[in-house]
Amino acid sequence: MEGWAGIDVGSRTTKAVLLLEDGSWFSHVVLTGADPQGAAEKCFKVVLDKAGLDQNVVLEVVATGYGRRRVPFAHRQYTEITCHAKGAAFFFRDIQTVIDMGGQDAKVISVDGAGVVVDFVMNDKCAAGTGRFLEVMAQVLELSLEEMAEEALRAKEAASISSMCTVFAESEVISLIAEGVPRDKICWGLHLAIAKRVAAMVRRLPQGKNVAFTGGVAKNRAMRKALEQILGVKLLVPEDPQVVGALGAALLARDGTRCK
Amino acid sequence: MAIKGIFLTLLRRPIFWKLIRPLLRLYVSKERNKPFTIWVDFLAETMESLWRRSKPIIWINSFFPVEMIYSLGGQPFLPELFPAVVAYFDWTRGPLLRGSEKTSTDLCSFYRCALGLLEYGVIPKPDLIVTSSQICDGTKAFYDALSYVLGVPHVFIDVPHADGEKAKVYLRKQLLEFLETYQERFGGSFNPLPLFNAQRAGNLMWEIAELRKAVPTPFPGTEGMSYVAGMAFWANGTKKHLKFLKALKEKIKAKVDRSQGYLPKERFRVLWLHHIRPYYPNPIFEYLHSRGVAIAYEEVNYPWWPRGRFENWMEYVIEKMISNPWHGPIQRRAKLVEELIEGYKVHGVIHFCHWGCRQSTGGAGIIGEFVKKKGIPYLLLPGDGVDPDNYSPGQTLTRLEAFVEVMESKWKGGQV
Repeated sequence: MEGWAGIDVGSRTTKAVLLLEDGSWFSHVVLTGADPQGAAEKCFKVVLDKAGLDQNVVLEVVATGYGRRRVPFAHRQYTEITCHAKGAAFFFRDIQTVIDMGGQDAKVISVDGAGVVVDFVMNDKCAAGTGRFLEVMAQVLELSLEEMAEEALRAKEAASISSMCTVFAESEVISLIAEGVPRDKICWGLHLAIAKRVAAMVRRLPQGKNVAFTGGVAKNRAMRKALEQILGVKLLVPEDPQVVGALGAALLARDGTRCK
Repeated sequence: MAIKGIFLTLLRRPIFWKLIRPLLRLYVSKERNKPFTIWVDFLAETMESLWRRSKPIIWINSFFPVEMIYSLGGQPFLPELFPAVVAYFDWTRGPLLRGSEKTSTDLCSFYRCALGLLEYGVIPKPDLIVTSSQICDGTKAFYDALSYVLGVPHVFIDVPHADGEKAKVYLRKQLLEFLETYQERFGGSFNPLPLFNAQRAGNLMWEIAELRKAVPTPFPGTEGMSYVAGMAFWANGTKKHLKFLKALKEKIKAKVDRSQGYLPKERFRVLWLHHIRPYYPNPIFEYLHSRGVAIAYEEVNYPWWPRGRFENWMEYVIEKMISNPWHGPIQRRAKLVEELIEGYKVHGVIHFCHWGCRQSTGGAGIIGEFVKKKGIPYLLLPGDGVDPDNYSPGQTLTRLEAFVEVMESKWKGGQV
């Protein structure tokens, strides 16, 4: 059995997908840490082990993510924008928009029916609307990311969070805690504030009804709810949204080999 | 510290510039780029003149017609342009920090850098400041403040958005008042020759713009945005600018005649919008060039004013100021962008948006929509022209790479 691999070296996590010729696929996620190359190698090895296959069966490897150039065994590199579009289109037909929220940035991608990127926007230089922003806020609230999402989902109303600068928002959250504002209200307010920011990016591109949500942050149910509320659409979320970029990379590896 | 002090002192000595000028000329002539050699020589000559202080030093903003200052016998200095030269040597960090001590860090980094350079004493204080409302929004407030701090008058020319007769009368009145102010303060006679030279330069710029429409791209837009634009803003009206343009035209014509592009293999041609680019060392253009993306043309070098010869120099100046496509209704700029897309047969448009510069970011959404409706991939690229600390290499490269991927999909791998 032969296959193709996609390695997505993100700022927080590294993901690997091994796509086999029968259409089945295996994935694995590790923390990137300070050694993106080591993380990519480790992740690749684990995913091969999961499939019970040897590296020799892999016809081509495509790397993506911010550390895409740190994968020495990759044959080609693509940006995570192209890979998320490709990966999302694998799961859902006729998507027009992909929202990818990762550890260090957020992207909104406009795609055609085949998952080819038509246009895209990225968040600007600050961390607002990214996984890192949520992590910092969870730390301030002394919660895990999962607990923060659960608190947010329980809330009946939202606290007003006006600042999207991570540092200013941190001070704002500390002030709200000091004022005795319930934690669930703060959590929901944070999710809504980010969703508003990302929704503004979505509206900069042509509006589509079929919107996919990918990236590590898409695992957060509260973020999905907040985005759906602001955008007024039901988001299409794959079973494991975190590995969509790596899957897209593996699909591009497969397409590349078939073209040769 | 002592070496830095000596170096800064040297930069203020006209004799330093006089002595270094032939050496610089010799050094850069090795690159066999005659226009660039003329630019370097112009800079050294100008620095010598500025520090000799034999002529009144007039600070102007980029779109004030510099040829008027030459006609009046003044020595112009462009605080908006000089930081780009400093950034080329990667020396802006210090001046930017120093400038930030005096003003808000929200102010455009070009102005902050100029302020810092003034504090370091490496640029001369002005005898008069004259600016126009074209095209940066921060211009008036910045130079008003500087005028107060330095105790130097600031003449501000408010260029109307409309282009009818009333607008021309309004502008003419202000320009005449400026001439009066200048001559009352510094005396001297008015020599119209630089204004006629500028008209000749304009015609040459048109010819160059036409030559650059050739495929493959004969001249890099990256150079267009540096010394070519530098000469147009600072040297227009001088004989040196005419010499520069003739050399540039010859250089480009030779390439066009041989059907030779500036890249070994051109896959895509793109149009660069905005008047600036990041000037500090960065991998943006190296990356684009490595992917076969040529900067076919840059908005900044478009000679927008009417061709031909104006017998009345004042009418020429008025026409030039009033027809500026980056001033007034956004439709003017959209029309220009359309003309450039079609004229230079581009596959994509990169719209650089300088942090702190509201001039370009203000219309970016509208221009972006306009470009996309024409079916041309468009990238809004935020960044900073002179502040290397306000630049994220990873994020910038991801945007550029994705943009190239979009062009590859759109144009099926690339075409020439």
